[in-house]
Amino acid sequence: MLGDSGKAQAVFQTTLHEAARRAAHEGLPNERFWLFRDARWRCLEASETDLQAEPLEMEEHEVIAEAASQIERLEPIQLAIWISAAPEPQRTALAFFYLDEFDYSEIADLAELKLSELSRLLAAGRRQFQAWLDATFPERSTV
Amino acid sequence: MKPRRLSRRQRALANCAPVSEDRIRDRSMRAAVFRARGSNEFANQQSFDRAVAALVRAIPIPPEAAEWFSSTDLIAPSKWAWKKTARNPAVLAIGIALVVIAGVFVFNFVGRLNDFPGSGTARKLLGTAGSTRSVLLDPVTGDAGTLSDLFFLKHGLEHYDVPAEFADFRTIGCRVFDDDEARRVAQIWVVEKRMQFFLFSAERNAKTGVVLQFSGWRYVHQEGWVGAVTERNGVCFMAALRGREKDLAPYIPKVKQ
Repeated sequence: MLGDSGKAQAVFQTTLHEAARRAAHEGLPNERFWLFRDARWRCLEASETDLQAEPLEMEEHEVIAEAASQIERLEPIQLAIWISAAPEPQRTALAFFYLDEFDYSEIADLAELKLSELSRLLAAGRRQFQAWLDATFPERSTV
Repeated sequence: MKPRRLSRRQRALANCAPVSEDRIRDRSMRAAVFRARGSNEFANQQSFDRAVAALVRAIPIPPEAAEWFSSTDLIAPSKWAWKKTARNPAVLAIGIALVVIAGVFVFNFVGRLNDFPGSGTARKLLGTAGSTRSVLLDPVTGDAGTLSDLFFLKHGLEHYDVPAEFADFRTIGCRVFDDDEARRVAQIWVVEKRMQFFLFSAERNAKTGVVLQFSGWRYVHQEGWVGAVTERNGVCFMAALRGREKDLAPYIPKVKQ
């Protein structure tokens, strides 16, 4: 979500601190994903002060069979930075989706999206990432 | 991705198909994945997603945060959905059956709470009261309390005494009859609210023959009739009238039960 382990650590600690405080004083909410929802909003707040990317039309390519081998050549932090640079709510959708811990209805709930919106954002994210991969590894066309 | 033969919703679901198939929790997603599985686009998507998810798992987590997740699942398993379960017809049917059975048990239990030795006989005699016509009784005019001598002298019934609370009530008639359970029963009809009195042998222990005593007054109800029963010297007295407990209560001494 943040593309910065220092900020992520700070958000993580703040979220847990707040959760401990609520548990001691108010009791925890009777909602399954409240901690993730809380952490998400803290991430959004933390990134509000960052430099914001200018809205632009991102290039999109259809996902290809060689994508997996392209992705294997990436450093994990490159992916983290790419996802963290995506606009909201696409960033939340991609982050929760590829965490591979939630099903689609849970992600839609957490990101406050409808199924059609979530579907569109994920599909667009794949195509945009594929375009970025193609730009990063241009030799693909010769494979 | 534009898989053929997929509805718009199935296309949307296929786009959200989880990286791990064990995360598929609903039938609509399973159906969408099943139908999309044949297409190259979907195969590429799945391969792409698996590679990205693997890379996500490799993103370094600060050790201070990682230790929180070292031994537990990130997400707690979903709780059993009670509302969904309750809507299942089989569960609903079982639930209704259990409620009915529980209701019958509670009804019987509450009914038995007020039972006392002789309550069965008292209820049976309330049925008799409901079906009795005045012509069946020998006309007797006088105070109810004076009939004790008549019962003793004419029928040999000892201790068939009307309690003092009801002794002054004017009688219309009386009779003595035999009953399987209560043996010799004395029945008195009085003017007051067309009340009926019954005197019958108290219930006894089947083995020892000892009278099963109880204290005070106990109420019984049967077919719109109410009776107040007390036991004295091995004989039960019941005052009965058609109505409710509150109609009989003014005649009963306050220290009942």
